Amino acid sequence: MVLLLLIVIPLICAGLIVFNPREQAKYIAAGGSLVSVVFGVVALAGFDWSRGNVDQMLVSIEWAPALGLNLALGVDSVSLLLIALTILLGPICVIGSFTAITENQKTFYAWLLILQSAMVGVFCARDLVLFYICFEFTLVPMYVLIAMFGSSNRRRASTKFFLYTFTGSVVALAGFAYVAWQHAAQTGAWSFDMAALGETARGLTAIQQAWVLLALMAGFAVKVPLFPVHTWLPLAHTEAPTAGSVILAGVLLKLGTYGVYKFVLPFAPEAVLNYAPLMAVLAIIGIVYAGLICWVQTDIKKLVAYSSVSHLGFCMLGLFAVNAVGVSGSVLYMISHGLSTGALFLMIGMMYERYHTRSMKEVSGLGSKMPVWSTFMVFFVMASVGLPGLNGFVSEIMCLFGTFQSGPWTGEAGITPGATFGMLGPVFAAIAGTGMVVAAIYLLYMTGKIVWGPLREPDGHHHHDVLPTDLSVREIGVLLPLAAGCLIFGLYPLPLMKAIEAPVNDTVAYVQSLNTGETGRVMVWTAAHDEGTHTDAAHGEADHNADEHSGEGH
Amino acid sequence: MLISPTLAAAADGAHAVGSAPGWVLLIPMLPMLAVVLNTLAAVFRVRTKLPAWTTIACLAGSFVATLFAFMALSGQTSVVTAWSWFDLSWGTGQGQRFVADFGFYIDNLTLLWMLFVTGLATLIAVYASEYMEHDVGKGYTRFFVAFALFVFSMTCLVMGDNMLMLYLGWEGVGLCSYLLIGYFYKKPSAVAAAKKAFIVNRIGDLGLAIGVMLTFVHFGTLEYAQLFQSEQLQGYIAAVQEGRAGDVPLMAQLIAVFLMIGAFGKSAQFPLYVWLPDAMEGPTPVSALIHAATMVTAGVYLIARMLPVFLVSEWALPVVAWVGTFTALLAATIGMAQFDIKRIMAYSTVSQLGYMFAGVAMLSSVGGVYHVVTHAFFKALLFLCCGAVMHGFAGQLDLRKLSGLWHMKGWRVVSVGMLIGCLNLAGVPFTAGFFSKDMIIAEAFVTPGYGFSFLGWTLLFTAGLTAYYTFRVFFRVFTGPVQYEPGDEHHGHDNDHGHDHGHGDHAHDDHGHPSSESLGHQDHGHDHFHPHPPRFAINFVLATLSVLAILAAGLYFVTPEKHGWVGSMLESTTAHNVYTADHSAAAMFLIDEDAHAAHDTHADASHGDHAAHGSILGFDPHKVMYYISAIFGLTGIGLAAYLHGPKGLVSGFLGNRVEAGRCRMDAVAKAFDPIPRWAENKWYVDELYHFLFVRPLWVVAHVFHAIDKLFVDGLVNLFGYLPRLLGRGAQPGQSGVLNGYALSMAGGVGVILFIVVLVTL
Amino acid sequence: MTALLAQSGFPEAMTSLTLYHYLFISAVMFTLGLIGFVTRRNLIVMFLCTEMMFQASGIALVAFSRFYLEYTGQVFVIFVLTVAAAEAAMALALVVLLFRRHETLDGSVWSLLKG
Repeated sequence: MVLLLLIVIPLICAGLIVFNPREQAKYIAAGGSLVSVVFGVVALAGFDWSRGNVDQMLVSIEWAPALGLNLALGVDSVSLLLIALTILLGPICVIGSFTAITENQKTFYAWLLILQSAMVGVFCARDLVLFYICFEFTLVPMYVLIAMFGSSNRRRASTKFFLYTFTGSVVALAGFAYVAWQHAAQTGAWSFDMAALGETARGLTAIQQAWVLLALMAGFAVKVPLFPVHTWLPLAHTEAPTAGSVILAGVLLKLGTYGVYKFVLPFAPEAVLNYAPLMAVLAIIGIVYAGLICWVQTDIKKLVAYSSVSHLGFCMLGLFAVNAVGVSGSVLYMISHGLSTGALFLMIGMMYERYHTRSMKEVSGLGSKMPVWSTFMVFFVMASVGLPGLNGFVSEIMCLFGTFQSGPWTGEAGITPGATFGMLGPVFAAIAGTGMVVAAIYLLYMTGKIVWGPLREPDGHHHHDVLPTDLSVREIGVLLPLAAGCLIFGLYPLPLMKAIEAPVNDTVAYVQSLNTGETGRVMVWTAAHDEGTHTDAAHGEADHNADEHSGEGH
Repeated sequence: MLISPTLAAAADGAHAVGSAPGWVLLIPMLPMLAVVLNTLAAVFRVRTKLPAWTTIACLAGSFVATLFAFMALSGQTSVVTAWSWFDLSWGTGQGQRFVADFGFYIDNLTLLWMLFVTGLATLIAVYASEYMEHDVGKGYTRFFVAFALFVFSMTCLVMGDNMLMLYLGWEGVGLCSYLLIGYFYKKPSAVAAAKKAFIVNRIGDLGLAIGVMLTFVHFGTLEYAQLFQSEQLQGYIAAVQEGRAGDVPLMAQLIAVFLMIGAFGKSAQFPLYVWLPDAMEGPTPVSALIHAATMVTAGVYLIARMLPVFLVSEWALPVVAWVGTFTALLAATIGMAQFDIKRIMAYSTVSQLGYMFAGVAMLSSVGGVYHVVTHAFFKALLFLCCGAVMHGFAGQLDLRKLSGLWHMKGWRVVSVGMLIGCLNLAGVPFTAGFFSKDMIIAEAFVTPGYGFSFLGWTLLFTAGLTAYYTFRVFFRVFTGPVQYEPGDEHHGHDNDHGHDHGHGDHAHDDHGHPSSESLGHQDHGHDHFHPHPPRFAINFVLATLSVLAILAAGLYFVTPEKHGWVGSMLESTTAHNVYTADHSAAAMFLIDEDAHAAHDTHADASHGDHAAHGSILGFDPHKVMYYISAIFGLTGIGLAAYLHGPKGLVSGFLGNRVEAGRCRMDAVAKAFDPIPRWAENKWYVDELYHFLFVRPLWVVAHVFHAIDKLFVDGLVNLFGYLPRLLGRGAQPGQSGVLNGYALSMAGGVGVILFIVVLVTL
Repeated sequence: MTALLAQSGFPEAMTSLTLYHYLFISAVMFTLGLIGFVTRRNLIVMFLCTEMMFQASGIALVAFSRFYLEYTGQVFVIFVLTVAAAEAAMALALVVLLFRRHETLDGSVWSLLKG
């Protein structure tokens, strides 16, 4: 029930905003998002964390029984944590926009709240159609936010954002439809229950799984975004209003990685194994390539946007390592990146409100002018760089560890103690690790320009009439929860780690179980490494399996 | 077979790992408390010296706690866990659990390190309370926050009970180093130096991270306690001892190689040393504590801590030895030609770190660690003396513009402190630096290895260079006629300090030798500028450190049978070298092909046989090294006195310098012309790196950016453009003329009719 | 002409007018109207041509109505006539307005929908 409330409350508040005077819009929005936080806490408290892998707080309302459609809601611990992140960012975005949005306030806050509903809907949907509807519906509010409240190039950015991600998702829909169709063909009844479909999908042959994987990845990779389908992101981020960027980086990108975690891994485990090297290579290219591109940006917002591409590469890498450490690291990365990058976008927004520029060429040395802002900036930069003790490190090192473990650790003594079954390995991890160095280069380059150095302000700059020189109490209040989150996450991630342990292990088991069977699948593993050509051997193996399956008959 | 007894002792002292009492947590937590309190002070905008007192109190508390721990826990190995940090399991088998507690590992190695870290940190905090007083209300709190955070990170690095804690401390000290180097953040050079330090360190950190991951994957644990007792590791050590070094899997051998890269980054070894000299942009107490005494020795700590892992690698230690020696020589040659006294000290730090690495790598972990300890004291002392000079002379650090401080009122403590520091660094007999350096160099001749005796001679030669550049500073700055010129800036901050008389009033020429007219004599000199000698806090710290630096020599004579107190400390730890007592075993390890032969010889021979013991010129290196190194050191000092000494130092022969900027060296430099100039420009290594790495990377980044815009995004835009292209194709049909539409409509109807007719027929 | 019709299967006895005659006239009128509409530029002429096509369809409707003895067709024609009348009023008014804009009756001047 509380899940339904979490979806409905923002919608009701959005309605209230529409029917109330303009001046009250922001307060209603703030109130609504804070009420959501309260219910979010209720949900967290009501969740049975010892059974994190079981869907809980189920709601199921009949929708279209003939088609097997249900309004089914439910959360496992991973979904719930992502909902918690969404809800935490809600008031932060609303309150953070109080001075930034001066026109069309009703439109802005109403759409912001609707967006929150849609995002919560994505994470708690347990029906595929409901998931997809929410997944796609997030585009509409975001489109409005960018197109109406963005900066100069907003039209183009919003259109590109919408069309690009939409195109990808449609392919993913085809993948889903295929799985549902297979399910209907096998059982004789339509169903869109995610668990049931997963069951069906895992029963498909390797070739069929490969198609499912490719279709789903087409949708989710664009959203993540994975190299080379990332180019909508920098544009959308740069043009979006601050709150939009925060939501975009904080939650919307996570829809992609969540999709991979929730659908690709459990639906197509065999294909995941076969395609892991390819995906990992794309992720690694993204890490290094986007990282280096960050370095040559002059617009700091664009820099941070590209850094998201780089960071999410680690997240994808962890997912395709398909072992406990890697996948846990990725899930933690989703939350951690939301905190630190969201905060960086807020910081940039605060600077932009004061100087009306985001160019590193025009602004420099704010350390002496805005010490509080600068302190937060350095803090969040360090969180983003992955400094141990802060959030970024925990997730990043786990993703790398997972990647490292998941490899050809065969020797005379067999697989070494810390190794797991997988298709990546130390070379992948080592090359991805250079991303850590690159991250230090571009983020410190940015800090060196903006925070340190001699003070320089834009020509003809005069101060904002509402905002003080340094951060106001409201702004500090917005940043403090994020800072506290980063610190606690970094020093004591154990509760989170334990919370997601069970569901992650369940997901990973689908892939890891391929190693123990006597179907000859383990040959994928050894043969691939003996010949040194992962994908080819894996493909051959996949064919073999396909034959086997067809022999058994459907 | 000599495996079992020594081996068991080696792998980790055979001591069961106990649990340490909870109060040991005070050692890391008190600095953390200082961080919190100082942050609160910043929040409440405290504009007094309160943060300094808080920090000093907390650090002193931490030091006392370390002392208690030393008394209570010495010789044992114990672990205390603050809280669980990482814990993830995916099975019940060995290695199917990823655990890293926020826990602390106490053995003699950590205690040794913590004793000098917390002790020096406390002293330097006292020094900084006075040194930084111009910044009270401005950067003072920020300074002490970072300072305390540094000590906390250092405790995590040294005391962490697993490799992730080590990594936490490793990067944590890097962060503090970054923040403190960039303390004067308005100075572009300080910002650049801070950035450079962090990034270069990050390259090393990547190596460390890979090493850590390899360790986990290979041994299935990150915790020292389990790692050092794991059967796998013991098996590898046994294999090496039996001369089967090739049996150790490649992956296990690579661990040490990657850890070594991490150590090179943090401890400023070639090729990653370039950040350390630039790090001198930070306030001097920082240079003394972080960039001389403690943080930069973390690499040595890493090797000492992970020595068992290094011992199973065929290449790691020889590479470390060669790199260390090369760095020692390279940095010494650069240091000889610098004019900025702080930079000279920085290069000397790099050089001395090279000695420590060489020491540890040549199987003299005791020598290496002992040098860490003695170096910590005397180098901190030297830096703090330089800092006092810089503080008193408005930022002046050029040795051509300072002279005769010994004779100036109020500068005696500084001068004596400097002399003691220089004597130690130069390795003058009976100083602490002399003993520790000797141990290292002697070991180079004792341990057989790939060209180790060549390295020994190189290190000896470098010792001579060290003595030369050390006393070059001393003779130029502290002896001779009293002449001085204030610095151009005051620590790089705004020039609004009341006491900053000398600032901006003078037009100085920045290049070449200053003309004597512009130099002020104390008696009839400047009206505008008065150097202010240090007050109580600084003098107190300098005096204390001087005494400690002298006393450090005494450690050599405590339990001499175990190579001094440091040896007795290391005996029960992982840093204890399996092969110390047995050089033929070392031979097996370092020279593979002869390994078995040597081993057999040894096994047949009776104990105490020195068949495989190396020698220097036919003598036992342990005994004769005292004399040889003394000769090199004294020669260096003599050369410095001849070239830079003041007139009248020793009856007119040794020195002839009568003014600050001119001495015999000028002529020598001219005679060798390009070489000193190149050395002054650091052999253009920075430029080379810039040309080889930074610039290409920058270009690549731009190329990527262009590719992203034109190709990757261009392809997307092309897809977006396709519908429009189709529209363009159909566009002529949309003439806008009514008749045209009518015609096409009629034509359309006609076509439909035609089809209908065709079908119905 | 007769021969032509005979060739294409028209009833030979020309004693009375058959449905085909009406439809033939209707088709001829419609085609003439269409050709006129497509080829002429003068707005009024074009309008008249559309009227001609209208009336052509009217003739066809009446003819069918008569043929099948079903009056729906004739009712349609009445409707068409009234609508056409209203339309003529509107269209002519529009033409006048358009003429005022550009002082010409050339239809090709108005090509705002050009893509």
